[in-house]
Amino acid sequence: MGIAEDELRGLIAMHQRMVFSIALRITGDYATAEEVAQDVFLELCRSGDRLASEDHVRHWLRRVATHRAIDALRRKAVRPEDAAEEWIEEEHSDGEARGCDAGLQARMEELLRTLPEPMRVAIVLRYQEEMLPDEIARLLGRSVASVKSHLHQGLTLLRRKAAFTMKEYVRGPV
Amino acid sequence: MDQSEEQLSRFEEELSGAMRRVDPPEGFAERVMARARANDKPRARIVRFPHRTRVWVSGAIAAALLAGVFVAEQMRLRQERERTELARQQFEAAMRITGETLEQARQQLQQAGVRVGTDGN
Repeated sequence: MGIAEDELRGLIAMHQRMVFSIALRITGDYATAEEVAQDVFLELCRSGDRLASEDHVRHWLRRVATHRAIDALRRKAVRPEDAAEEWIEEEHSDGEARGCDAGLQARMEELLRTLPEPMRVAIVLRYQEEMLPDEIARLLGRSVASVKSHLHQGLTLLRRKAAFTMKEYVRGPV
Repeated sequence: MDQSEEQLSRFEEELSGAMRRVDPPEGFAERVMARARANDKPRARIVRFPHRTRVWVSGAIAAALLAGVFVAEQMRLRQERERTELARQQFEAAMRITGETLEQARQQLQQAGVRVGTDGN
């Protein structure tokens, strides 16, 4: 191992939710997300001794998880819609629930999986990871304008879809 | 802020609420650790010789390479000589057969009363 076993265990405990959630929301497939997340931590294990600070580790994990998830999505041509029911039926811990209805969240997840890849990735990094557009642009190696455009298009599309499928969001013209 | 921007902003807030991080499946960390341990096989051992041994080994390898090149060159020359000798023998055999055939033809013409080329006519 590149880093000590105890250290790796600690890093997994600290970052597994972030890595797994990025992988899950981008690939849209539970099993693929676990595979991606495992691969990311194994890669960290090999190259962890080069990562100096905790911030560096978090940034590295976020970047590698995003790129591995995009690769998996392209390689396997995962159809997120196929996994949506599995996702809704799965039990997930809700430790950081912020008052959002679970059913609503699941349906939002389902809609997210129908977005084209660039929009989905931008939305995940913006609203799950709370990254700014310029940070997302740096992580993805794209221009800020393109990230902003994907965010705006993704939001508009999500909202439009929500208006058609979720009565909670029928609040006037879209 | 117009109405559609306000709606979009409210939607963003609700989206942020829905996009909280989730836990990986049960036993995820253990599975990663197991894979990490499985990948952590002993690497190939690098044997380091003392400097003097390295010089001798390098010299021996260089000599072996030179000997190999020399032997290969010798074999190539020998094969070339054999091919040349074979070609020479084939040429001589062909000339001999041609000479014999011409001699037979000359004798047959002589028997038939035709005088051929010995006195310049």
